[in-house]
Amino acid sequence: MAPALLVLLGVLAYPIGASLLLGFQDATIAGGGVTSEWIGLGNYERMLSDPTFAIALRNSLYFTFVEVIAVVIISLAVALLLNHLGNRSGFFVVILLIPWALAPVANAVLWKWIYNANYGILNTVLLQLGLIDQKVVWLGDPFLALNMMLIADSWKAVPFITLLLLAGLQNVPSQLYRAARVDGASTWARFRHVTLPGLRVPILVAVVLQSIWALKVFDLVFVLTKGGPMDGTVVLNFLAWRVTFNFLDLGYGAAIANVLFGIMFILALIYVRALDPDRKRRRPAAE
Amino acid sequence: MRRRLSTWGIRFALLAFMILALGPIVWGLITSFTPTSALTQTPPDLSLESFTLDNYVDVLVSRGNLPDALFDSAVVATLTASLSLVLGSAAAYALARLKVPGSNKILLAVLATQMFPGIVIAIPLFIVYSQFRPLGYSLIDTHLGLSLTYLSFTLVVVIWILKGFFESIPPQLERAAAVDGASTFQTFRLVVLPISLPVLFATGVFAFIEAWNEFFFAIILTRVDVKTVPIAIAEFSGQYRTLYGEMLAAAVLASIPVVLLAIIFRRFIVKGFVEGAVKG
Amino acid sequence: MTKRRLYIPTGFSRRSFLKRSGAAAAGLAAASMMPAWASALAQDKTTLRALVPAAPDPTPPGVPNATFSAETNAAFDAWQAANNAVVAYEDVPWPQLHDKMAANFASGVHTHDVVYMSGWVPEFADFLVPFVDDLPSGLVSDLPASSFSTVTWDGRKMGVVFTLSLLTTFYNQAMFDAEGIGAPPKDWAELLGIAEQLTKDGKYGWVLNYGETAGIGGVATYWFVFLQQAGGHLYDQNGQPDFNNEAGVDSLQMMMDLMPFTDPGSITYVGINDATNVFSAGNAAMMLNWPFMWLPANDPESSAIAGQVGAALNPAGPAGSASIDGTDAYTITQTAPDPELARKLIEFYLDPAVQKSQSIDTGWLPIRLSVLNDPEVQEKSANAKVVLEQAQYPYDSYVTPDFTEVTIAISTEIQKALTGQQDAATTIANMTDQVSAIVARRG
Repeated sequence: MAPALLVLLGVLAYPIGASLLLGFQDATIAGGGVTSEWIGLGNYERMLSDPTFAIALRNSLYFTFVEVIAVVIISLAVALLLNHLGNRSGFFVVILLIPWALAPVANAVLWKWIYNANYGILNTVLLQLGLIDQKVVWLGDPFLALNMMLIADSWKAVPFITLLLLAGLQNVPSQLYRAARVDGASTWARFRHVTLPGLRVPILVAVVLQSIWALKVFDLVFVLTKGGPMDGTVVLNFLAWRVTFNFLDLGYGAAIANVLFGIMFILALIYVRALDPDRKRRRPAAE
Repeated sequence: MRRRLSTWGIRFALLAFMILALGPIVWGLITSFTPTSALTQTPPDLSLESFTLDNYVDVLVSRGNLPDALFDSAVVATLTASLSLVLGSAAAYALARLKVPGSNKILLAVLATQMFPGIVIAIPLFIVYSQFRPLGYSLIDTHLGLSLTYLSFTLVVVIWILKGFFESIPPQLERAAAVDGASTFQTFRLVVLPISLPVLFATGVFAFIEAWNEFFFAIILTRVDVKTVPIAIAEFSGQYRTLYGEMLAAAVLASIPVVLLAIIFRRFIVKGFVEGAVKG
Repeated sequence: MTKRRLYIPTGFSRRSFLKRSGAAAAGLAAASMMPAWASALAQDKTTLRALVPAAPDPTPPGVPNATFSAETNAAFDAWQAANNAVVAYEDVPWPQLHDKMAANFASGVHTHDVVYMSGWVPEFADFLVPFVDDLPSGLVSDLPASSFSTVTWDGRKMGVVFTLSLLTTFYNQAMFDAEGIGAPPKDWAELLGIAEQLTKDGKYGWVLNYGETAGIGGVATYWFVFLQQAGGHLYDQNGQPDFNNEAGVDSLQMMMDLMPFTDPGSITYVGINDATNVFSAGNAAMMLNWPFMWLPANDPESSAIAGQVGAALNPAGPAGSASIDGTDAYTITQTAPDPELARKLIEFYLDPAVQKSQSIDTGWLPIRLSVLNDPEVQEKSANAKVVLEQAQYPYDSYVTPDFTEVTIAISTEIQKALTGQQDAATTIANMTDQVSAIVARRG
């Protein structure tokens, strides 16, 4: 099985290797392959002075930071709610699965339609409720568009994280709750001292997974705003695509993807580190 | 009094949850049953008179490419899921049981490939696929070619979740098999896999859904023979015309299989998360 | 002593499941390679492959969902039979065309013989064949000479534009009549005046899709219209940006001056039809639009103002009227094994009868001058005369190999100006810097 593993790793590593190489080159398409010229760190230097890259980096970091916080908090709330229902939560789990299973393209199309300035249901509903007095162009202002995109992606992301946290909640032994109640702990104290510690690992997993997914968002940007308006919703992955496919500047696009990958890699390192101590503690028991 | 308040609080929270979770979906459904011309009036004409099945008919029959897309997506997704499970379970078992040196580092490397934003190597990948021609036919525009590409990210999730699960199996079972003369592979096939059924299902469904929903590589690596469902949805938005009603009808139809799958296998999916992801 | 039992499941075992799925996978893999195999066996005709947009974007006859008449389709079948050829189409949603083309060209493997282009000919010049000089002179003389400017690079003519697609001004006659406005605006001053007059009660004087940044039909190309109307041009003879002058600033300023009278959603409309929907619903009085949108705008099924739409010459700036070319063209790839046959196919698409059908049946105006002047064509598309007149004025789309990158950079800056974040002079200066950098990188 070990040789099979190595072959597997080779196949999986090809994209990363190819991209790393491309990142050091000035490459574009030519019939039969890619013409390239080795320019060392040239692409990375260009990144430092490229205002669009700075915008993309800022947007990516903002998007990821806010989405992770929002999704984890909302998911925790929903998970607590469903956990409270115990066996009767089945129906609501079904409902949760629908946004999760939607294709990202379908999700983007749906929200683009909801946000439409003229025919969108969001405007219609808010107008009827009297919360706004004229139609808002949701995707017309760069910062607003970025936040609306956040909402669309979070809506789709919450189900998975909720299920993750729900699983974690169900793992917390009920004796602990009983003991706490016997000790006279209030609901809030029980939450703080029994629930949250038991959720440490699932929350960490959720944070890392959601960060990676938020950094990788593409289909949504592509369909919803194409990076607009005024590059307000350009994120790193989208910029890498645009540079590679629209400008046929393969080297620079790969460099941007590599930077994005680097950010995610650091996050993953943190994850493996944080879980390691648990594993080391558990292994002796398994022996 | 407090009990009543909290019950009402729970009910209110559940209602809010339902509205927020289902609202957009319901709106999408309503739109799909309304002709585009009624939708593009301000305000949209949603009266019962404009209820129509035309969008669905158009998508299924007149433009006619959604049934083909559904078939192509089903083939690609099934291929991807099967290959992921076959290869991934073997790899995960190796990582879990065989003392492969540096298995944590390998796990990290494997996880790293899941994170990689693959879009930038679509062109090099296309070049490789079109020029690497075993038996003289390229992998472009084939179900297999697309599945192999998807493998590179579904495999990771499969390995990651299955490894965690395999590690949590008490080794006594496998030792018993070994004592009875079973080889590692036989132990794997006959002892470990049977009890991994829930997790296998969960990860298989996961891989299926990932492959079904993928958009970008599907566009680049296929031409005419293979057209997956996300491509079909995107087709309604052209340079000069966007057909909202049909687009949402296509999105609805495209989502039904995966939603059904998720619902049918939900127990396995949830259990898979418990066994696999949470326990790391 | 404890008895240990080896658990071997009966019936549906993991082993058989895996075996079956493995076999199924292999079978599926083999099956998916089948089509290429099978069709190769059936070959004794030449196959011509064409990459074209999906309908209703401009398509040649034979593409699924295209609305050509039965006669035209029959003629197409006859052509294939007469030339012992089979034409296989790959019709792709328009937004994906460029990406697919890039991947195909990069691979060096022969994928298509004929490829539709819209502003990408210079970009892919290395992969195309300059076949225009081999076209029959009768055909070439029936085409507007300036239609070749966007498909020529380095002196090589590599494509033929097949539809006269110039932006003209559409206006809502009913809204004009209600305000007593007699005629469409003749110049910038009148355009501003009328737009202001008609902006009231939730309706606006002007609408356009300012949300699209890339390529033809993006914000940058709309500005090109105004730029040429102000007597300006994008590049000088050396290919350097040459618009940091009065013409550049004034033309941008004109667009900014129109903003208070422009539908506020315009900045989010990515497709031309998003803007056309507003116009067709009677919520905006005027817009720039492509000849193709004439039929839908007058179709009672999709338009609330059918029959009330007028087409007019674009209002003149200081230097007169101007427009841009949609540059929808057919090209031939260098990897094509039989470029003559490919060229014959393109000649078929440009055949007068096919062109006439293209106009009357699908709504895409012909490029042949003789067909444009045909009374039947002019009757069906009342805007044909206006488009012909518009063709008397400049309509350069400034297509270069970095057309996409340049238009995206320019459009992003213009969007900032249109939303009031920057003044015209600063924007033009920024644009000049960015375009210079892009041109320098290419050099």
